[in-house]
Amino acid sequence: MARDATEILKEPPATGRAEGGGPRVPALCLLPGLLAMAVFALALGALFQYSLLEFIPGSLRTGGVTTGNFRQVVAPQYLRAIWDTIALSLATTVLTLLASYPVAYALARGRSPVLRSLLLVLTLAPFFTGAIVRTYAWILVLGNAGFINSLLLKAGLLETPYQMIFTTQGVLVGLVHFSMPVMILILAAGISHIDPTYERAAVSLGANPVRTFLRVTLPLSMPGVISGFVVVFAWTFSAFPTPELLGGGRVKMIANVVKDLALDSFNWPGSAAFAVVALAVTFVLVAVVARSVERLGRHA
Amino acid sequence: MRSHTIRSLILAVLLAWAPGALAAEPLVVSTWGGNWKDTIERVIAKPFTQKTGIPVEFEVGGTLDRLTKARVTKASPLVDVTFTTTHVGRLYISDGLFQKLDMAKIPNAKEIFKEALRSDHHVGVWAYVYTIVYRTDLIKDEITKWADLWDPRFARKIGLPDFDPSHIITVSAVLEGGNEKDWEKGQERLKRLKPNVAAFFSTDARSQDLMKTGEAPVQVMLSVNAFHLQELGLPVKLVSPTDVGGIVGIDTIGIMAGTKKAEAAHKFIDFALSREVQEQLVLSFKAGPVHAKAAVPEKLRGQPGVFTTAQEWKEKAYILVDEVRAKNLPAWKEWFNANVVAK
Amino acid sequence: MGPGWVLGRWAGRLLVAGLVAFMTFPTLVVFVASFNDTAILSFPPQGYSLRWYANALTYPQFQRAAVNSLLVTLATAALALPLGIASVLALERGRLRGRAFWAAVLLSPLIIPGVVAGLGLLILGAAIGLLQSRWPLIFAHVVLVLPFVIRSLWVSLANLDPNLERAAASLGAGPWRVFWRITLPLLRPGLFAALLFAVIISLNEFVVSLFISTRVTEILPVAMFTYVVNYTDPTIAALSALFILGTFVIVYLADHVLDMSAVFQIAHGRDRERA
Repeated sequence: MARDATEILKEPPATGRAEGGGPRVPALCLLPGLLAMAVFALALGALFQYSLLEFIPGSLRTGGVTTGNFRQVVAPQYLRAIWDTIALSLATTVLTLLASYPVAYALARGRSPVLRSLLLVLTLAPFFTGAIVRTYAWILVLGNAGFINSLLLKAGLLETPYQMIFTTQGVLVGLVHFSMPVMILILAAGISHIDPTYERAAVSLGANPVRTFLRVTLPLSMPGVISGFVVVFAWTFSAFPTPELLGGGRVKMIANVVKDLALDSFNWPGSAAFAVVALAVTFVLVAVVARSVERLGRHA
Repeated sequence: MRSHTIRSLILAVLLAWAPGALAAEPLVVSTWGGNWKDTIERVIAKPFTQKTGIPVEFEVGGTLDRLTKARVTKASPLVDVTFTTTHVGRLYISDGLFQKLDMAKIPNAKEIFKEALRSDHHVGVWAYVYTIVYRTDLIKDEITKWADLWDPRFARKIGLPDFDPSHIITVSAVLEGGNEKDWEKGQERLKRLKPNVAAFFSTDARSQDLMKTGEAPVQVMLSVNAFHLQELGLPVKLVSPTDVGGIVGIDTIGIMAGTKKAEAAHKFIDFALSREVQEQLVLSFKAGPVHAKAAVPEKLRGQPGVFTTAQEWKEKAYILVDEVRAKNLPAWKEWFNANVVAK
Repeated sequence: MGPGWVLGRWAGRLLVAGLVAFMTFPTLVVFVASFNDTAILSFPPQGYSLRWYANALTYPQFQRAAVNSLLVTLATAALALPLGIASVLALERGRLRGRAFWAAVLLSPLIIPGVVAGLGLLILGAAIGLLQSRWPLIFAHVVLVLPFVIRSLWVSLANLDPNLERAAASLGAGPWRVFWRITLPLLRPGLFAALLFAVIISLNEFVVSLFISTRVTEILPVAMFTYVVNYTDPTIAALSALFILGTFVIVYLADHVLDMSAVFQIAHGRDRERA
């Protein structure tokens, strides 16, 4: 069955030989790792605790227990950030999927090993270059004195710079660009595991390439598509640096609100409540889609 | 070979334990980034090091995120001297982050305007205003007072800061017979300004952009930025409003509680308040000096934000009460975002 | 094969080339901008110079941050790898109930949004008063890279032929000796992949680090972010160019040392037919 990067999210690579392979190891070896997770859980616990404490404006001290922070989350301007986050994540995921599929297909099915290798390096390099470097690159491209505006102004096609940075569309471009490598890798893993004999059979039965693709390749690559969908959606849902730098304070996603409240308004309780909501939505999302992937996987 | 690798890994882990161990012992100054830091470095820090032999290092960041960092590292501060706005200085003080200044070690403090002596914990270094600034080539009607902003002739012309709405909130309240304490009085009036607003900005750079492109040719703008645009040749005018004064901002310096370098920190503040440095700061920032005798170039004299006499401070400046501003700012931002910025 | 078919193929190639260009194009702009000789960007640049490279390499906070990045990444790798090996061995070979549950626990940091982890660690770190040291940073990085380390090692361990270890044991080697001499060397591909992930993720980690680092502990991405927010000159373009170049070298070398297709589970039709 096709295994891909997203399985990291749900289940261990069950080998079926857990009890039989190699020398036995004391289960205690698990302890150091679990200890680290316990401390991490403590941090999340502190976050939960703060989300239920009263915020005292202008200070880091907290008051008594309250649910007010969660009520604040649904205030209009915050609700808008949540809505924007959902809309942007959906748009990003769909666009990323469309833009990544052809590249993934070429990566999995390309004939020339040299080109395939080049594609892989060109995909991996941005995957391994951090968010700051990649987002900064878009500031240079989209900015009012950036690459595109400079050229259009010089060519006389524009009189004043066209506002691309600090707009929702600008953030969207950055997010799609940011998500493409991971989507490509997941899709390519999925496509490469489709047995090519299916496609050959379809062709030999007289199906044209388009038909073969639509009727055979695409349906068989659905598990990969759905995995890519979950990962990129979840990833974009908690995106921070891209909206922070390309949104310029005008386009705010949930993560930016969390950061603003925590670091600029000292409102740790309010920020924590927002973070808890983000966490809950992420969990629900991953659970729902992981389940649907499983169901689809069984059909395939 | 392998044991060598392991040994260097262990060494790396040990080094990670003591981040301070690698650094020398300079005076650490926390300030805003960009032009602010560059100018402070050039005008204050470099000459200070030359004079005293004390090296200076910087921490840069926004007003509020630096306060957050100061709070979470309160037990042993990473910074010795902090530049911050006068009202946020109040939050440093109420959290016990600033130590009391020893005025005997800051002789220059005797020479500065009383408005700049913000408290016994922090002292002003320069002043500016947020006032009305407009493009004279795009706006034909003269603007003389804050109330003009509500004129329907300026529909979709105005740019406002959204990171700190204190200025327009205070003005609205004063125009309705209140002040920053009972700011609610101005709420209805401020909501009526919405049809005239073309854009909001969160950074100085964006504000200047909006002015340059003419997207928001009338702005509630930082005087320092307006002077900068004038130097670039843009026809902008700073208004000295007749109904309410320009909303004054004073940037201040304080010494972190618990620092081991209090002596050097006092010297640094005294140096920053000296007449020579003050004159340099005026030239660089186009901000008003706090030193009463600092010379100001002819073309800046009498301009908004550049107060050179006690008289001008009294008549042309509207200074918000620091405590009120510090305490209300989160509420102001939230109300402003929900009722003015939101569509 | 009709002419339509050929046309379709070329259209497909063009599409892929266009999409790859979209992915690569910002990088090229960064390189061009990094040689701009004025503080204010213009395209094409009016003149060329290396001054922003000089500025990037001599800016004190970048130097400090580079040292921090190096130390944090080394410490992260040094801690996460043994931790990952122990965990994977226990998960695969330990007498364990609820194997899937424990695995899910160890892999869970993957779905925790960065700001959530960052804020939680900030609150906890402030309460303990540890934020002046690098340890919260290192701890966070270890937790964040652990899922990738575990995943890479697990694939390797699952594919390992246990007969070799059994043979060694039957020849009288003790469990430690078997582990050092047989198991660990056989895990090498997984270890390389795990190390690669640990280093690259730690070097690039930004969101959590932003919350819990200070002026003295901050790592390169955080220092770069601060600079981008405060300055508009092309210093970051120069630094980015160096970063990108470094990454390319690592990826290129990694692709030669270990089969990256395999790391990302991309099988190639022909290779498979051969197998």
